[in-house]
Amino acid sequence: MSTPTREGILFKHFDTPNRQRIDVYEQLGGYRALGKALTEMTADQVLKELEASGLRGRGGAGFSMGKKASFLRHGEIDKYLCCNADESEPGAFKDRELIHRNPHQLIEGVMIAAYAAGIRHAFIYIRGEYVEQAETLETAVGEASEKGYVGDDILSSGFSCSLVVHRGAGAYICGEETALLDSLEGKRGNPRLRPPFPANQGLYQGPTLINNVETLSNAPHIVLHGAEWFRSFGTEKSPGTKVVSVSGNVQRPGNYEVELGVPSRHIIFDLAGGPPPGRRIKCWFPGGSSSPVLTGEHLDLPYDFEHMAEAGSMLGSGSIIVVDDTVPILSVAMWVAKFYHHESCGKCVPCREGTNWTVQLLKRIDRGEATPMDVDLLMSVQDNIIGNCLCLLGDSMAMPISAMVKHFRPEFEEEIAVRRQAAERVFGGTGAAQAGGTGVAQEEGPDLVAAAGTVPVEGHPHEARVEEEQAPRPGEDEFD
Amino acid sequence: MPASERSWVTFTIDGLEVRAPEGEWLLDAAKRGDVEIPYFCYEPKLGAPVGACRMCMVEVEGIPKLQVSCATPVKDGMVVNTQTDRVKEAQNAVVEFLLINHPLDCPVCDKGGECPLQDITFGWGPGRSRFVEKKRNFPKPIALSPLVAIDRERCILCYRCVRFSQEVSEDYHLTFLERADHTFVGTFDGRPYVAPFAGNIIELCPVGALTSTPYRFRARPWEIEDSGSVCTFCPSQCNIKFTVRDERVERVLARQNDDVDNGWLCDKGRYGYQSVHSEQRIDQPLVRDGGMLRPASWERALRTAADGLRKAGAASGAIIGGSTTNEEGYLLQRVFREALGSSNIDSRRGGSLDPRIARMLSRPELQAQVSDLDHATVVLAVATDPLNESPIIDLRVRKAVRRFGAKLIVAAAHPTALDGGATEVLSFKPGGEEAFLRAFAKAMRQIDQSGGAEQEQPRSDRPPEEAGAPPLPGQPELLDFLDHASLDSLSELAGVVAQDVRDAANLLVGAENIVVLWGERLGDGEQGAGALAALADVALLAGLDGGRSSGLIEIPAGTNARGLREVGCLPNMGPGLSAREPGMNTAEIRGAAARGELEALYLLHADPMRNQPDRLSWEAALGNAFVVAHDQFLSESIERHAEVVFPAESYAEKEGTVTHPDGRLQRLRPAIGHPGAVRMEWQVIVELALELGLDLPYLTTGTVLAEIAEQVPFYRGASAEEIGAKGLRWPERELADEALRSLGELRFSAPSEPPPPLEPVDGRPLVVPVASLWASWETERSPALRFLSPKQELRLNPSDAKRLGITHGELARVAANGRAIHATVRLAANARAGWAYLLEGTAEDAANVLTPGGPVAVEITRVSDSEPAPNVALEAGTAGDRT
Repeated sequence: MSTPTREGILFKHFDTPNRQRIDVYEQLGGYRALGKALTEMTADQVLKELEASGLRGRGGAGFSMGKKASFLRHGEIDKYLCCNADESEPGAFKDRELIHRNPHQLIEGVMIAAYAAGIRHAFIYIRGEYVEQAETLETAVGEASEKGYVGDDILSSGFSCSLVVHRGAGAYICGEETALLDSLEGKRGNPRLRPPFPANQGLYQGPTLINNVETLSNAPHIVLHGAEWFRSFGTEKSPGTKVVSVSGNVQRPGNYEVELGVPSRHIIFDLAGGPPPGRRIKCWFPGGSSSPVLTGEHLDLPYDFEHMAEAGSMLGSGSIIVVDDTVPILSVAMWVAKFYHHESCGKCVPCREGTNWTVQLLKRIDRGEATPMDVDLLMSVQDNIIGNCLCLLGDSMAMPISAMVKHFRPEFEEEIAVRRQAAERVFGGTGAAQAGGTGVAQEEGPDLVAAAGTVPVEGHPHEARVEEEQAPRPGEDEFD
Repeated sequence: MPASERSWVTFTIDGLEVRAPEGEWLLDAAKRGDVEIPYFCYEPKLGAPVGACRMCMVEVEGIPKLQVSCATPVKDGMVVNTQTDRVKEAQNAVVEFLLINHPLDCPVCDKGGECPLQDITFGWGPGRSRFVEKKRNFPKPIALSPLVAIDRERCILCYRCVRFSQEVSEDYHLTFLERADHTFVGTFDGRPYVAPFAGNIIELCPVGALTSTPYRFRARPWEIEDSGSVCTFCPSQCNIKFTVRDERVERVLARQNDDVDNGWLCDKGRYGYQSVHSEQRIDQPLVRDGGMLRPASWERALRTAADGLRKAGAASGAIIGGSTTNEEGYLLQRVFREALGSSNIDSRRGGSLDPRIARMLSRPELQAQVSDLDHATVVLAVATDPLNESPIIDLRVRKAVRRFGAKLIVAAAHPTALDGGATEVLSFKPGGEEAFLRAFAKAMRQIDQSGGAEQEQPRSDRPPEEAGAPPLPGQPELLDFLDHASLDSLSELAGVVAQDVRDAANLLVGAENIVVLWGERLGDGEQGAGALAALADVALLAGLDGGRSSGLIEIPAGTNARGLREVGCLPNMGPGLSAREPGMNTAEIRGAAARGELEALYLLHADPMRNQPDRLSWEAALGNAFVVAHDQFLSESIERHAEVVFPAESYAEKEGTVTHPDGRLQRLRPAIGHPGAVRMEWQVIVELALELGLDLPYLTTGTVLAEIAEQVPFYRGASAEEIGAKGLRWPERELADEALRSLGELRFSAPSEPPPPLEPVDGRPLVVPVASLWASWETERSPALRFLSPKQELRLNPSDAKRLGITHGELARVAANGRAIHATVRLAANARAGWAYLLEGTAEDAANVLTPGGPVAVEITRVSDSEPAPNVALEAGTAGDRT
């Protein structure tokens, strides 16, 4: 595994055999940080250290972790910590590996954060599909309880904190922090209206700290080596390292730990090997499928929170998805839209109906029934979603699709024209609308697609294959 | 909102400066400046806003994103815009999104014309849709329950019905299923949503997705008229609106009055209007002729009735049912007392009240009102199951616990629907009421002596300036009694665990606002007087006479029980609870008539064979006497025994007043005319009086009310105008000294050892009847509700069932004193071992066949030997092995 200039923080010793076992973890220095925190430091000192480190949330929002913990009310009330391990965003798989290879690093981080914020009940909410990782975690929690790192009177310090691993039931929305809380309470996982924020009223109405796996995994290292040491990695505003999941059209997909602020090109090309020979990058998602796509011209931007935001996108969970020039942009849009439509919880109107409408519009384009005006409609629907939803799920579809239309509008228009012509060749007359009436044509229209000589829009970009003789689409040669 | 006063702020909305209480939701605050903001999901009755519909978004200066006004608190100096392009774009977007999957079938939709979605589409929508794809489809309409139809295509998923089910009625039936635009409202496994308050979701629905099955296609909004009145089916006395089309009541809606009902109705109140137009209603006078009741003229009926009553003279008695108005009750007691010289008048079934206690419990200091439950820190429910006796109170208590964090103590001799949400459940033995209350007082005394409650709460039972006031009369004696009593032995007598009593008392002592709900049955029977005295002592010890939102609320057995008592329908008290030479109470009337000592009986809205204990004895009593009945339907009592029957008005036809259990006078107003030859009931009584030689010079109900207001000191001056639409609560009025004096003084009782309750003998469970919401003629006479009419059931503790070799769902024969009924066995873990519970007032297998009053030991045997039904479910908890 390639690492940045130094050995890395979270991925250090990752290849040591049986890394997930507590004895191996302890041999490599594990749980020393918890010991230091509990015996040598007050809760306040730990909190200060975390704040001073400038560690920013790795789940997507990038909010200062220490500050978030300091918002929790002090005093003897039931407070909760929820580790968000419901990693479900397409393109993100860093938490999976962090848990799989080094569960104790997370458990130690959870306990340190709980100690800092005076919390006595902690949960790890893990994605339902991560069966193996949940088992790994449960085994690890069992080991840690046996050794006295979890439970009552930890390391005879008088501090007690329980830890429960809870498996989700397969809904992306439960990664949204308030939906996660509802789900954990045994309800249907729907986002809650904020305020009240979880730090004031979260799980069972108690103050609740919610952090991502990677964020919490950093805590032991900060406690052990100090905030200054941590700040020596990364940039001033985005200190530390980041585990980046790189996927899509690259030759070496995988997780890479890099210092924040390295050039994006370094991650995509030097580490992940770039697109297959002869292909060029058409666009890339810098922070999972919910981040607005960037293009080739953004490849030299430093990979950190600020520069991604400046470019109109976001670092998000740090998951780069690379799309090369063989993939039609319509396929990418359809893939994004279908995912978010499928995962919309249905609670608020713009997301529920907007994701549905967007999918239907894209299908219409695919069926050859759309007109160039429909691109404006597509944009307008996205505009009506953005900023109007209860949580971020609606925006998570609308923003990347808006970005795609913005960067690749000519290609959308070309798709519409090509597919319309193909439909006319098949059905004759004035267009597909005659054939099946509006919207009641066959769902997938395989014949249309074959006739048009284009690729199926179903599924993942990886599955997309393109005919060799197919003419390059407009817009392709604009990027390297 | 808590009673604490809120500070006011000034904010600007659409350029207008508006004042509003700080922290009020912007959407409500905007109304103060006449700015209307559209919304679908916001409904304060449902608790905290959810922000799901996104319709109410506004622009707040200084905040980059649009804000949902339903969940944005107003702050001083806030600048809000609702008319900017951005806001309008967002509103257009939401309406367009909503209509994507809405069928727009307004011409055939019941909601059309009174539909918020229609109104908002016209007012705030873009006026056109750019969506040309296919809308989603669902089978429609389908039955969500026999009473509610659901059309999922019309549903805009606003969350209201689901929130009601989960957060108000707490039945948790409704939920969202599936996701995204496939989301739909449903129940687990598609089971019917049958629950006591389910019908409220129809009114909450802002589109035509949830419609009332009986009302479907019966009227359009422009053909109907609303008529406000009060529901008289139970003591909750919810404020309602009759929907009238062509002189027919087609629907009942809530008329929100936060001091009474919070805008909710139970399903009996919502659908029971169908009884008004029942084919079986008596619509002309009947006189028994040749053994048969036959139609007769009013003249003949009145003359026959008057002849029979005159002949009986003082040897006559009147039983007055709970749905009687104050005016009717007042007039009838005048007829009996003045024209017949009889004081045998009773509107209660449980025996005579001790006048001193009755007056003291009516004193304003000891009275709480329904809305005080919202401010209560502790609610104590004694000997009542509000769900079955006064359903809306059940919702109000749930609200107090869920939303305002009140602690609930339930103390009853039977399982109640509130047990699940209670901090303490104290299940005492039937008959152990007084012992329990004395034990409770003892525990309070102990806590007081040990330096107050274990929790730190300000003690505010009496205002400080009165702290040095002399103790109430009787206090030293009571304290002396308590100091010599033993908590353990009192608890044992009552059948409760002493530590539980202590824990409960600990919640109560020193609490800021305490509301005590108590069931009328607490005062039933021979031990009733002692139990009421003990209740009053607990109330005084807890300082309920001092707290601002503290006090007692009675849950009576009859709708207008309080009003009837206060206008003189009691054997030993006249109007205003004034002293009268005691006549016979209900039980005594029954006994005397059965022995042939009473010659005539007048039944005003009363069906004693069904609703009073000891059915067989009543049968004899009615058989012996000359019975005049005044009712809407031929009940068994009437059909078999009445000589003269006057047709009665339904509540939709009636004018008059009733008194809510918390002292609120409320007006009934006629919504429709009288069917057939039905006449105003109060007029019939006046005419009967005239036949008997008593000239009652009343021209209208208003003049009757004026006289009642003369006669009842604490109603003094009350008029229909003052009562108005929302009622007039007399304990809140400025009362003259004379009125207060008429209610006696606050004093402790002179207690004695409480009597021991009955104990089961020879393993035969003691059976007690309990109230059932649905066991009533309203349920049976309303076609839509008939399926809810309960069959008799026997609730048993699983250990008893095991011992008796009987199990859940089996049919049992329950026998006592040579009589038997059949009942389906229901296992309930919260039923007391050694005791069994039957429903009161069922149409068949009536419990009062077995019980002459109090508990009775019964033989329980299995009727069929068929296998128990699969999926045996306990009503609460599990109970180990079953046979």
